[in-house]
Amino acid sequence: MGKKFITAEDVRRAGGGPIVTDADTVVTPQALQAAQAAGIVIQGPQGAGYREPAPDRGPDAQSALGHLAQLPEPSGLVSTGAGTGVIVTAVGVNRPGILAEITATLFEGGVSVVDISQRTIDQYFHLVLTCELRGEAEFPALKQKLDCLGGKNDYTVRTMHEGVFRFMHRV
Amino acid sequence: MVFTDREILETVRMVELETLDIRTTTLGISLFDCADPDLESTAEKIYAKVVHQARNLVEIAGSIEADYGVPIVNKRIAVTPIALVAGACGSSDLVPLARALDAAAKEVGVDFIGGFSAYVYKGFTNADHALFDSIPQALAETDHVCSSVALGTTKSGINMDATARFADVVLEAARLTADTGGLGCAKLVCFTNPVEDNPFVAGAHIGIGEPETVLSVGVSGPGAVRSALERLGPKADLLAVAETIKRTAFKITRVGELVGREAARRLGTSFGIVDISLAPTPAIGDSVSDILELMGVERTGAPGTTAALALLTDAVKKGGAMASSSVGGLSGAFIPVSEDEGMINAVKAGALSLAKLEAMTTVCSVGLDMVAVPGDTPASTLMGILADEMAIGMVNNKTTAVRIIPVPGKGPGETVEWGGLLGTAIVQDPGPFHCDVLYRRGGRIPAPIQSYRN
Repeated sequence: MGKKFITAEDVRRAGGGPIVTDADTVVTPQALQAAQAAGIVIQGPQGAGYREPAPDRGPDAQSALGHLAQLPEPSGLVSTGAGTGVIVTAVGVNRPGILAEITATLFEGGVSVVDISQRTIDQYFHLVLTCELRGEAEFPALKQKLDCLGGKNDYTVRTMHEGVFRFMHRV
Repeated sequence: MVFTDREILETVRMVELETLDIRTTTLGISLFDCADPDLESTAEKIYAKVVHQARNLVEIAGSIEADYGVPIVNKRIAVTPIALVAGACGSSDLVPLARALDAAAKEVGVDFIGGFSAYVYKGFTNADHALFDSIPQALAETDHVCSSVALGTTKSGINMDATARFADVVLEAARLTADTGGLGCAKLVCFTNPVEDNPFVAGAHIGIGEPETVLSVGVSGPGAVRSALERLGPKADLLAVAETIKRTAFKITRVGELVGREAARRLGTSFGIVDISLAPTPAIGDSVSDILELMGVERTGAPGTTAALALLTDAVKKGGAMASSSVGGLSGAFIPVSEDEGMINAVKAGALSLAKLEAMTTVCSVGLDMVAVPGDTPASTLMGILADEMAIGMVNNKTTAVRIIPVPGKGPGETVEWGGLLGTAIVQDPGPFHCDVLYRRGGRIPAPIQSYRN
């Protein structure tokens, strides 16, 4: 087993010859600088130039991830297919066209509406849409578009992943 | 319908209006393999390893925030106590290692890095000794490094020599950061029965039993508990209060569990613990003090406050324990005085004294936290305050901590503004009487007997 770290001191001790690293060796920035200054080559395990390896998370990281996959998840998925469940809520001052604006954005984002509910009290409304994000569409991009709707003295839209609701309200 | 409107609106309200958030995702990184006979090489390895392991932490936390719509406020790193890593190099000045931690924190963009730490509950190694000497300068020179020391445990008693030395360290840290109101001390804490998987600063570090890397989550939400009690009203009995807090803590912790699982998965590392701690901020409504007052004490610090806090801490732990596959850390209710608007007001009103705070720490989840005392407080008095708190933890088999700031140039009743999350403090009066003889005795308070508990 080779060295886990190569430091500037290791470079100085190398005496000008090339330094060969293992697959998981981390070379410190100071060592890279010292090697460059001294004209010393730091080689990767295959003889190519050194590249920082992927982090070694430790001997039990993989099994820990396996255990994680076995933890029971709360029931009640919005989506039964490959899609992502999304909950969209909107509150604000009622006016014609709000639902149209929101659903048009959802349509553009490749979102299917699974359930919809709306209440109006005086001039105020709240709207809850349970949706499914399908295909290539990505949640962050959809959220960004929905966040831009409405505005001050109009209405605001909140978009959250169904997992938050499932973890909070189901066991 | 999968979720009812009521459930959906409750969650949205908690996140949007009641400041429910993931207070921290903390990546624990073991630094044992960074030990080296040469100090400079140790510093290099520490920097390289922290950056290597945590390079994606901020990005991954950001992606989870974006994907789930739940704010993740802080991203932090906890490392092996530096005194354990520095033993091999034999250096008497460990400030270069603090600089390496700070530089790594800056490189990966985390808010804080905890672990400039030592366990000295039975005695000092040479490296512990060097670390104590280096703490004040390390805190003055760095921006993101937090330091903690363990002065006692229930099984070993309290190292009073170390407690006296720590008092000197606190005073020196305050002196070196006098231009910022002694702010260096806000990054410095001592413990009895330290929690070795604590994701919250200033005490974040990973203990000797922890894996190579581990991802833990700290979740907060005093605002959500406060609102739930507000809706419950003043007529409900205390069982109903406890049940309401438990249910709310359960829901808050579930969000932490979701984020913790996902963060561990994306980082490819072990999922450590969820720490469900009601951690207040100076923001209006994000206050543990408000919860206590809603429970029925006129002002935090009034008679009844300790009982109310006992119920709160216990109910939070019970709700959290059911909600997560692995609850850990400090879990409970924090009472950092300067960071909680309600507590600041209680001190201003004369309701919350240092003595009452000490009583509250017997039942809160940590201890005396963010308490300001006069800058000219003698070391012996400071040691007395620390020792009292350590004794509470030792005898009651609980974690206790002290994060105290002797504010240079300020006397009792004066105000110090630290700004940001650290808030505002009113300097508290430790009283006119001293414990000089106790201070000079030194030695160790033996471990307490565990039977005959009354």
